[in-house]
Amino acid sequence: MYSKKNFLKVFFTFMAIITPWVLAIILFGNSNKEKQKEKDAVTKEFKLEHLNYEKPDTIPKVDHSKFKILQQDFKNPQDVTKACLSCHNLTDHDIMNSSHWKWARANVSKNGDTLWYGKKNLINNFCIGLTSNEPRCTSCHIGYGWKDKNFDFTKKENIDCIVCHDQTGTYKKFPTKAGYPVKEKTIFNKKVFLPPNYNLIAQHVGSPKRENCGACHYFGGGGNNVKHGDLSKELTHTTTDVDVHMGTDGANMSCVECHKTEHHKISGQLYSVSSENKDRVSCTQCHTNAPHKEHQLNLHSNKVACQTCHIPEYAKVNPTKMYWDWSKAGKHNPDGSIMVKKDSSGYMIYHTLKGAFKWEKHVKPEYVWFNGKAKHYTLGEKIDTSKIVKLNTLLGSYEDPNAKIIPVKIHRGKQIYDTENEILINPHLFGKDSTSYWKNFDWNKAASVGMKSVNLPYSGKYGFISTEMYWPLNHMVSKSDKALSCTECHSHNGRLKNLNDFYLSGRDQNSIIDWIGIIMIIGALIGVSIHASLRIVKSKKQKNK
Amino acid sequence: MKKRTYIYKSFERFWHWSQALLILFLAITGFEIHSSYHLFGFSYAVKMHNIAAWAFLILIIFAIFWHFVTGEWKQYIPTTKFIKEQIDYYITGIFKNAPHPTKKTVYNKFNPLQRLIYLGLKILVIPVQVLTGFAYLYYMYPDSIWHTSGLNYIAVIHTFGAFVLLAFVIAHVYLTTTGNTPTESLYAMLTGWEVIDVDENELRKEHLVKAVENSVAGYYRINKDGVIVDVNKAWLDLYKCNDKSKYIGKHYSVTREKENLKQLEELVHDVFKGNYIHGVFSKRKCCDGSTGQHILSMNPIFSEEELIEAEGFIIDVEHAENESNYLPYLIKNSTAAYYKLDIDGYILEVNDAWLNLYKYKTESEVKGKHFSLFRPDESIKDFQNIFNKLINGETISSAKIARLCKDGSIGYQLVSANPIYHNAKIIGMEGFILPIE
Repeated sequence: MYSKKNFLKVFFTFMAIITPWVLAIILFGNSNKEKQKEKDAVTKEFKLEHLNYEKPDTIPKVDHSKFKILQQDFKNPQDVTKACLSCHNLTDHDIMNSSHWKWARANVSKNGDTLWYGKKNLINNFCIGLTSNEPRCTSCHIGYGWKDKNFDFTKKENIDCIVCHDQTGTYKKFPTKAGYPVKEKTIFNKKVFLPPNYNLIAQHVGSPKRENCGACHYFGGGGNNVKHGDLSKELTHTTTDVDVHMGTDGANMSCVECHKTEHHKISGQLYSVSSENKDRVSCTQCHTNAPHKEHQLNLHSNKVACQTCHIPEYAKVNPTKMYWDWSKAGKHNPDGSIMVKKDSSGYMIYHTLKGAFKWEKHVKPEYVWFNGKAKHYTLGEKIDTSKIVKLNTLLGSYEDPNAKIIPVKIHRGKQIYDTENEILINPHLFGKDSTSYWKNFDWNKAASVGMKSVNLPYSGKYGFISTEMYWPLNHMVSKSDKALSCTECHSHNGRLKNLNDFYLSGRDQNSIIDWIGIIMIIGALIGVSIHASLRIVKSKKQKNK
Repeated sequence: MKKRTYIYKSFERFWHWSQALLILFLAITGFEIHSSYHLFGFSYAVKMHNIAAWAFLILIIFAIFWHFVTGEWKQYIPTTKFIKEQIDYYITGIFKNAPHPTKKTVYNKFNPLQRLIYLGLKILVIPVQVLTGFAYLYYMYPDSIWHTSGLNYIAVIHTFGAFVLLAFVIAHVYLTTTGNTPTESLYAMLTGWEVIDVDENELRKEHLVKAVENSVAGYYRINKDGVIVDVNKAWLDLYKCNDKSKYIGKHYSVTREKENLKQLEELVHDVFKGNYIHGVFSKRKCCDGSTGQHILSMNPIFSEEELIEAEGFIIDVEHAENESNYLPYLIKNSTAAYYKLDIDGYILEVNDAWLNLYKYKTESEVKGKHFSLFRPDESIKDFQNIFNKLINGETISSAKIARLCKDGSIGYQLVSANPIYHNAKIIGMEGFILPIE
């Protein structure tokens, strides 16, 4: 019925219908690939569109060495501060209103009350609490002499200007002297601390460098990269492979280029202690709201923070502490000496004073919803002992229009609590007295003194409870080619497998519908096959007849 | 009656195959997004799925436009008539080589099951897929105005729709093989041509128009005011006129001498009362002033039960020996009988008047039989002559001839006959018969 000519006609008709579609799809696909190539090239040349960003002028406006008042022979650090304030005569107000000075931030609650949250009433699961341990902790305070609860926050000569503004790199606060540097050569943990040359330092001051910020922020928790995971001393001299912004082979940006500062109010806050959605640093300060060529990726920014894809891992150079078990503390070597265990790479995994630790390097972040607000466990608050206690809770959910998925480091640990009163304990750890844990290894004494110092009861019975602390990750942004690919999240067992309050394509399926669908397809195929074979069999029979 | 017919228009085929390709492509990329397998890579699959979705939407808009402009949407009006028969056919009949229970024509391309399923796709499955698909694309985040509790429902419905479409494709592709030959439907959807049933009424209407145009009998139509609305070529020939405009728009009185006009006026008056005139001897005034004689029939034309016009045929009786011989009989019973023969002389079609004339009850009794069966032996030769003349392209305006009826009786009649042309080739003959006793 259908001759060869007819067949050709049919074939050409079919081709005429198909060809435009195939061509369109191929062309579209190719042009997208070409665009991708272009985009890659652009990224390599660092031609991303930027807003409000200019490399800051680093030429000093003032030569401090010419000022007479800075040429004096400073006897103690407060004299330097006085000299600074003699010219910068309003700066003390700015400083004393800053969180760096107060170690607290105001939080306006729903009923209008202003509550102050900070290290004085919050605790963590590293070295736990500030109060009664001040001289050790306050070595990172921008002041001199916060050695106990009676520190006078209004005395402006106690401001430490040079810890942030020293350009010589020689100024160091001593770890246990309540923020003071040493007066004579001292050795601590095999490190040599020399008295500062105040005269030299005072004449060489300037805008904070990475080392100034890092002096405290790299070493939170008592060692390099212990707390943050994304802030470690390697960032001072790093490559774009570790941090695309700070890499000296790239944009070479200093901390304060993002953490913009006016009147000593430095933008950015860390939600281990902060609560409110304000004064935050965001990527869109410099990058546009739609930085990707692909619309689909830009749409993601409604619900996904930039960091989520662009910080695929943290602790890239050195490991960070992931777990701290205080309940194991107190074990000594058989000879009664302090027990210290290290892993194969030299990281401490046990110490008599502190307990057991776990370290990790190249860590994949965990992911949570975050709307910019956080809740905190405040001293004295009752805990639910059946659950893991969250010392800080990042707020937000899929339903929350302001919330985005962010990457976090979750620091887990076990720490001491009052089993009768069901509150976490602020232990007295540091000190050469007869009650501190690190001298006496008696939790009862440490707990009762520590709790008394914060005016809270202690029942005399303690236990250890699992706690978690959430550390949003913002640094160690990777190069764009290292950003997460789609299937890192859009797949079974992807990175977001635990964030289950929404439907994510590629990750979630409704198994009932899938089964119904598969049965439907298989049913159709089987039905068709049976019907077809019956037809063939019957028609053969009829032919035979 | 079956005929090779152009059934699927070019846009329809373009739409059908594009839709088929898009549905398959959307399914392939869609199930990759669903994490059913890895093929193109997730981001490429998403990108392609989105592009294909837009292409599909544009195609749908064009298709909707096409359906309404061409009226093809009526093909999808659902019916329960024969639906059981259609199901029975697929379950049992098909295995027994039973005929299809419904006929496929240009105006009824789909069987009742097809109508129902295709309509379901058009107004339910595809709209749901498009709506959920674009919701998926644009309302993926809860801060949009559609503050949904997430993609869950949208995605699940969209996935289910995809399964339904896939199952449909499987069944649909298979059922295309249930035509007369397994590939017939496939070729039809590719080329547009298929051998299908032809609507006999439509065909008859078509032939009637041609018959009127080509007939040697003169055809005319007048409106209520007596103004001539239409005439055919034969009519003009009888009036010896080449110019239609000389009569169209004029009152019928121009066709008569004064003394003959009264008769016609009475006839027209009668017809506009609703009566039928079956063959009245009448004298005409030709264009050149000469006169002629013809037999005239006239019937009213109704439109929505309102009598609007009158029409009729005239057959020339110029060469009749004596008008008085047959005039009374003609007046008595002369509904013009119509017949049609193929090139070999076999009867293709006759009308009721013809059957009455030949005393047959149904058309099937005579259809496909040779004309000689309906002529007495001595008359066959006469008709054979007429037939031969016609095959050579001549027309016969009226010839007296004998007929052989079913009961064996023999009658006489006036026959007009003209050849039927198709592409300049004679394929048969047709004509009117007026009986004379």
